[in-house]
Amino acid sequence: MHPKQDQVDAVRARRSELENHLIDEYRAGKIGRREFVRRGALVGMSLPLVTFLATACGVSTEDLEETDKPQTAEPKQGGTIRVGEQEPAGALDPVTVNNLGGLVVLAQTGEFLVTSDPRLRLVPRLAESWKPNADGSVWTFKLRRGVKFHDGKVMDAEDVATTFDRLADPDGGSNALSVFTGVLSKGGTKAVDANTVEFQLDAPNGNFPYLISSDNYNAIILPKTYDGDWEKTFIGTGPWKLDRFRPAEGVDFVPFKEYWDPRGRAITNKNELKFYADEQGLVLGFQGNEFDACVQYSVSGGKALLTDDTVITHELRAASHRQIHMRTDKEPFRDKRVRQAMALLVDRQALVDGLLDTKADYGNDSPFAPVYRSTAELEQRQRDVAKAKELLRAAGKEDGFSVELNTWQGFEMPDLAQLLQQMVREAGIRINLDITDSATYYGEATFGNSRWLDSTMGITEYGHRGVPNVLLGAPLLSDGTWNSAHFKNKRYDQLVADYVAAVDLDAQRRIAKEIQLLLLDEVPIMFTYFYYFLSGSKDYVSGVVTNPMGQMDVSRAGFV
Amino acid sequence: MGRFILRRVLLAIVTLFLLSLIVFVSAQVLPGDVARNILGPFADQRSVDQLNERLGTDRSIIVQYWDWITGVLTGDMGVSLAFRRPVEDVIGPALVNSAKLALLAFLIVVPLAVIGGVYAALREGSFRDRLISIGGLSATAIPDFVWAVLMILIFALTLGIFPSTATAPPGSNFFEEVWYLILPALCLVFVLFGYIARMARAGTVEALDADYTRTAVIKGLPQRTVVRRHVLRNSLLPTIAVVATQLGYLFGGLVVIELIFNYNGLGQTLVEAAQQKDFPLLQSGILIIGIVYLVATLVADIMYSVLNPRVRLGSEA
Repeated sequence: MHPKQDQVDAVRARRSELENHLIDEYRAGKIGRREFVRRGALVGMSLPLVTFLATACGVSTEDLEETDKPQTAEPKQGGTIRVGEQEPAGALDPVTVNNLGGLVVLAQTGEFLVTSDPRLRLVPRLAESWKPNADGSVWTFKLRRGVKFHDGKVMDAEDVATTFDRLADPDGGSNALSVFTGVLSKGGTKAVDANTVEFQLDAPNGNFPYLISSDNYNAIILPKTYDGDWEKTFIGTGPWKLDRFRPAEGVDFVPFKEYWDPRGRAITNKNELKFYADEQGLVLGFQGNEFDACVQYSVSGGKALLTDDTVITHELRAASHRQIHMRTDKEPFRDKRVRQAMALLVDRQALVDGLLDTKADYGNDSPFAPVYRSTAELEQRQRDVAKAKELLRAAGKEDGFSVELNTWQGFEMPDLAQLLQQMVREAGIRINLDITDSATYYGEATFGNSRWLDSTMGITEYGHRGVPNVLLGAPLLSDGTWNSAHFKNKRYDQLVADYVAAVDLDAQRRIAKEIQLLLLDEVPIMFTYFYYFLSGSKDYVSGVVTNPMGQMDVSRAGFV
Repeated sequence: MGRFILRRVLLAIVTLFLLSLIVFVSAQVLPGDVARNILGPFADQRSVDQLNERLGTDRSIIVQYWDWITGVLTGDMGVSLAFRRPVEDVIGPALVNSAKLALLAFLIVVPLAVIGGVYAALREGSFRDRLISIGGLSATAIPDFVWAVLMILIFALTLGIFPSTATAPPGSNFFEEVWYLILPALCLVFVLFGYIARMARAGTVEALDADYTRTAVIKGLPQRTVVRRHVLRNSLLPTIAVVATQLGYLFGGLVVIELIFNYNGLGQTLVEAAQQKDFPLLQSGILIIGIVYLVATLVADIMYSVLNPRVRLGSEA
């Protein structure tokens, strides 16, 4: 008997069925230690408790090593940390922000109930703990006490409930509606008491804490009195507060002296965020020491930084990807054998090595990126020209065909389109490229008014998500609003509903495997790679933490 | 002269009105929806509709145009759709920045190019003439973004003399601001030098060949006097016209330079406005550039008449 078995038993007696199931999975070796910690946090176990259980029930040697690239020196107090990032597009309003530039600003002064860390684990922030009911349809969050907004007012459950009501309001112009539709409605968030908030969901959801975490970058907690003029105050509860906003140029922040976490207070005296409208300018500025940390750069645009000895590049595995859709309701892709042939003609290794300088994971034609813990391990689809030709012959397309591929002039997508064009040529398939600007490609983003949603074949960029829920839904469900492949499959729809509702990892993995196999067979969309999130800091700086969503935290960063 | 200026101002108002109409119609045919552009392709349609309603972009285009033009006439340029701030607040700093860069580049390139062009003409056919002409032309042929990257690589990253950005830190004094602007200004000097110098050279060569110059030389006037009194006054006329047309470019056309040097100028602001269909911002910015063009050409016309009294203006001819 394990020396701590009595304590474990005592703990288990007070835990829910779901939590005990998770402990059983861990003890049975079905999940590793790291995964146990991650899932434990998801179902609401506190970090000390989950760490205790991980040790007491330990069967895995998997370590709990932290996420950051090792920084050897302790940062010194003082100085000004300067961060360079993409200029926010449009007004800075937590309710409507929809771009990297904006979300980075939000995360400087704002905080979330829960933070998704660089390895996609949930870390308590403004919420101390959380717990679902038996079927995952009601989630209760206990809030941290003594948290103050920058105007000195104390945060309470009413502030939290109002924040989420605002985000779930269909008439509020909220960017978070794409996450909350079918999950959380306006009025679904209730303040139980001053420090307890209850979310009554539209349907059971096992990954709900992720949907209100930093993954949902709009979900910073705002005062209940917030009236939409955020640029004047940048109000939040975070370790930095607004000093000066220079539109189109940057924002200066100073430490918030009443920040609730004494160990999280800013090390430097100032945080200067500088905006860059163009990646080339950003990279040249970073090389020229105009700032000390860079939120993001691409492999193609940031090549000079990848080989710069003074820059430490932080590579984070992420779920960011490009979807190559094929209209399942139109020729030439009506027959799934043609779609399978297309997928077999793609040389994923060439894409990852050549296009992304190896800084990506291979995609296996489903949204289940390797970074997700629920992703089942299946045989990787590889290039097989002979098999592709065989499938085309069986589908009556042995002479190949012509098809138009639509995309827009952004990121590496035009290069990807050209490589695809070359890769499928061997099977007699002629891809004609139609590459436009983003406004033309997306149009009105509704069916019948958008190249994205109406084209026979297209390439679309999708950003990182901490869980695959959104990616499984809108782009692939029969009634999905982003279903560019026009894929309609009842079994898929049911599997996704089951996956979303599943609270325990075992069930999620089982369903995930079925979804992955179904999508490998149907191939409405080719997922060829999931590229890493690259950010950087100068070698004289330590303590910079970034997650794959792009939220860079420099509160504990300083100069060595 | 007074009547000429009045007539030009009235014409300018008509031109600006037509310009606003053209820009407005062009902005309407740009693909995409205003709220969709602001919220992004993945935003919920309900949010898009709600934002369009809030911004007033769901109204008819005639109503939108009327609202904007009547506002401008009363000094109110409206609210930027993307930034949700008064257009003046967005465009003001960008205009000031553009003016600073344009002025610095102008102060360097105009005297340099005019002196270079006149000097080359006075030594027509010599090695120095070829050096100035071919060198200037080659510099002009190299695109501004290539100059920008080269200048940053050499003077900022390799030698570390100048900063790699054009935006001086907050609180910088006048000289620090100028220091930050030198590299982008030099890029513009390289781009414009060849063009202006070539015009100055051609005008000077033509003036040197003119009868009045020959007469002045035959009269026995010293060469310096001939050049100053007879050649320059005539030779600079085409140069003035070229310089005037470049002013608009310096104010609103430096998109790439602004991007590479991360400088919040008018060009970059207007490109973003066009991408987001931010009609009030785009429209107001283009009007401002139009005014710069019109004022510059008006000043050029006046200078024409001052430098060469034979040129009569308007109905006074």
